[in-house]
Amino acid sequence: MNPNPLAPDSASGALSGSAEETLRLIASLPAPQGLEDRIHAGLRAAEHAEPHRARILAWPPALRPGRNWVHGAALRSAAAAAIVCVVAGGGWGIYARVQQHRPSSAVTLPAHPAASGGFSNAGAMRVPQTLNGPMLIHPLTAVQTPAKAPARNARKPLHHELPNAAGKAAAQAATK
Amino acid sequence: MDIAENPVHPQARTHAEEEVLSALVSQYAGTLYRVAFSVLRNPADAEDAVQEAFIRVLRHRDTLGEVRDQRVWLIRIVWNIVLDRKRRAKTRPETDDVSELARVLPAGGLTAEQIACAAQHHAHVLACVDQLPAKERQVLMLSAFEELTSVEIAEVLAITESSVRSRLFRARNLMADLLNHSRSLR
Repeated sequence: MNPNPLAPDSASGALSGSAEETLRLIASLPAPQGLEDRIHAGLRAAEHAEPHRARILAWPPALRPGRNWVHGAALRSAAAAAIVCVVAGGGWGIYARVQQHRPSSAVTLPAHPAASGGFSNAGAMRVPQTLNGPMLIHPLTAVQTPAKAPARNARKPLHHELPNAAGKAAAQAATK
Repeated sequence: MDIAENPVHPQARTHAEEEVLSALVSQYAGTLYRVAFSVLRNPADAEDAVQEAFIRVLRHRDTLGEVRDQRVWLIRIVWNIVLDRKRRAKTRPETDDVSELARVLPAGGLTAEQIACAAQHHAHVLACVDQLPAKERQVLMLSAFEELTSVEIAEVLAITESSVRSRLFRARNLMADLLNHSRSLR
């Protein structure tokens, strides 16, 4: 075992020697034969099977991390500054547009309920229910009817004629 | 950090990265295998974990130049892989550790009976290790590697060096209690 961290001191030396021997044995097992070759073969297979990088949104070669990082950092900074400018400009535009239609600062308070203690109508208004009138299919046209001429043979009531009952009463009074 | 003043040809850069990766495989494959086997205790699973670790390195080969300590970095990668696999393997039926250890452990000049007894003993110790809390168990297993100092264990586990020491102290005491308890039951 590693003499530095595992050296059993007087306080923590309770671990038996056989247990340490087991751990040491496990930790010092030799690697199997051909391990490196198999790993190399696996890496080659993984490299060929590695999925292609994105073509549409992939970083340009100058911006890829680890390659030309001096120029890449400058370009990334410029791109970040441009993004910040676009976002800030858009936000300011929206803010300025909203500011023009800002409502008046006066706030209309709702009407207080009746102070007499009764129920309030909560601002409701009664709207009378109206009937739907007939629909006019044709528009109204102003028709002027000519004034009726008096008929010639119309019989004018005579002022000496009396109605039947009144006439009889008058005749009886006269005979008396 | 070295600043590349002249643009490097992409093919030359790729070739250089492949050479670096090949050197990493040659240098650290054995170490990574031992780390993986100490957790998984299965040769095939350990080899798969090492393979996966190097494939991850292949995918992030652009950042190889930024790695400060490649050995600790690789151990950390394979450590995370084996812990993840171990977590997933809990849902599967456990393999027979005794027979697996008897097959893997070196048996120079031992009879078959002695090999079986040794394998049984090692399996019992490892079963006690498995009963430790996760934090203490991880530190104890990593501390068994001669290649790793306490500072490097702290880097692999992303904790402080004092935490490594305190967890190791607790792990040793717990391990002793477990072994004594099992002896008293016998």
